Amino acid sequence: MSATVGPVAINTFREAVRDRVLYNLVLFALLMIGAAILVGEISIGIERLVIINLGLTAISIFGLVMAIFIGVGLVYKEIEKRTLYSLLAKPIRRWQFLVGKYAGLLLTLTVNTAFMTLGLAAALFYVGRHFERSDTSILVAIYFILLEFALVTALALFFSCFSSPMLSTLYTLGIYMTGVFANDIRTIGDFTRNPALLAVTRAVYYLVPNFHNFNAIAAAAHGSAIPFSLVWQNTLYAALYVALLLIAASAVFSGRNLK
Amino acid sequence: MNHPSQTRALWAAVAGVPLLFAAIAVLQMKINAGTRAYTAENDELMLRSGSAVRQMSLGYDSLVADIYWTRAVQYYGSRLGTDGAEFGLLWPLLDIATTLDSKLIIAYRFGAIFLSEPPPVGAGRPDLAVELLKRGIAENPDNYYLSGDLGFLYYWRLKDYPKASEAYLEGSKIPNAPAWLKMMAARIAEQHGSLETSRMIWSQIYETSQEKTVRDQAMKTLRVLRAQEDEAQLDEVAQKYKNRFGHFPASASELRDAGLLRGTPVDPAGYPYIFGADGKSSLDPRSSIVIPHELNPPPEESK
Repeated sequence: MSATVGPVAINTFREAVRDRVLYNLVLFALLMIGAAILVGEISIGIERLVIINLGLTAISIFGLVMAIFIGVGLVYKEIEKRTLYSLLAKPIRRWQFLVGKYAGLLLTLTVNTAFMTLGLAAALFYVGRHFERSDTSILVAIYFILLEFALVTALALFFSCFSSPMLSTLYTLGIYMTGVFANDIRTIGDFTRNPALLAVTRAVYYLVPNFHNFNAIAAAAHGSAIPFSLVWQNTLYAALYVALLLIAASAVFSGRNLK
Repeated sequence: MNHPSQTRALWAAVAGVPLLFAAIAVLQMKINAGTRAYTAENDELMLRSGSAVRQMSLGYDSLVADIYWTRAVQYYGSRLGTDGAEFGLLWPLLDIATTLDSKLIIAYRFGAIFLSEPPPVGAGRPDLAVELLKRGIAENPDNYYLSGDLGFLYYWRLKDYPKASEAYLEGSKIPNAPAWLKMMAARIAEQHGSLETSRMIWSQIYETSQEKTVRDQAMKTLRVLRAQEDEAQLDEVAQKYKNRFGHFPASASELRDAGLLRGTPVDPAGYPYIFGADGKSSLDPRSSIVIPHELNPPPEESK
């Protein structure tokens, strides 16, 4: 399997680099430098807090934008450029192609996030001149952000198997927003006396990926310890959801008539 | 790139882009000048509900909280010391910041100062400051600084000594709380608003605060308190002088010459104290020490 998935993943990563996707790192660096210099001048007592909050938020937003906008074009571009046909003529199954594409984009996002993490660490060191033991929470928060990327990429890839990039973007964003508000949707249901509405909100709560689980930015900013149980639970949650989406995407893509 | 038309395009860009940016900046200044009249007071907060802002922040609550805290600091700073300035948006901004990030300790601590200071230095709303600190204590029960701040607020601004003592006592019960919190609780319960107690509290603030602005304010107040203590003691000595010579001293040097003082006392700014016809000592008009209106006369039981 790795003999077929690996090259697709590496090529997807190379293609992203060729498309200058990593240029967003320059913007991130400027953002961090600007924040490190400016915040101390315009606010009181939150320099470190802002660097962590801004850094993690930027990592999350930049990555999500990349995951969605590149993810929805992963399959579509190959069909559009007709490169998919020559690829599928080789001994590679459609699901392997999909998993390779997914792994390639995830590798791109991971590399991008790794560079941003270095930038965040540099900005933190500039502001505080030292690191603290509680800063390990920042790494956990970044790991959770990566899990979020894994989920969003899988969602985007799934929709791109049967829809245009524009619609896939809308669907992915829709599911993402629903997932962000999952807890509120459940709360709305809890307040109602309508059993049907309660059932619907409960169903939505458990069906959509709960992105609230992966938000540890505030805890990291305040140096609060993130329990290890949450780390493995979130990892398993993301793995299960990604597996589900990739299986569904493979099923849809395998059944699709590409002629 | 060597093609003449390409070179011309490059030079046009090099010259044209900065020129156009300059023109845009000038135009923006003109727009600002024209709209200043009706936008000057238009700084209304669109959303006053922390919960609503939380929903709109899409999970990035803590960064948005930082932004609202920075807005509160800017809002306060832009009005600080301006006669007649109103601080109407200060509470909503602090409310939103602390709703979005209930662990934003700095917003509770400084927000309480901004709210409680009398105008034009603050909003003159110690009641809201108390509410903010109580909310902070409820959200951060292990933070004894907030209890200390609440005790200080009751003591200094509201002169509610039983509640001040209670707040310090509550803070002293928090694990790892410093011993001085219990000392404060006992001292306030015993002596209420004495100058000595005030000096102890401000000394603690000076020693424990990391923020320069707070330390500066604490040092300023400590100098004022020392001047007040000096004046109280000098008044007593002046009375002794009158008992001996039948009239009040005209200057501190007369007290020294009479052997009632070892030297000529000076205030923390280095100026000698002066005496009025009634024998009351006061600060030299040239002195940089200014006793705020709220401290004059000194707190009860000051001697």
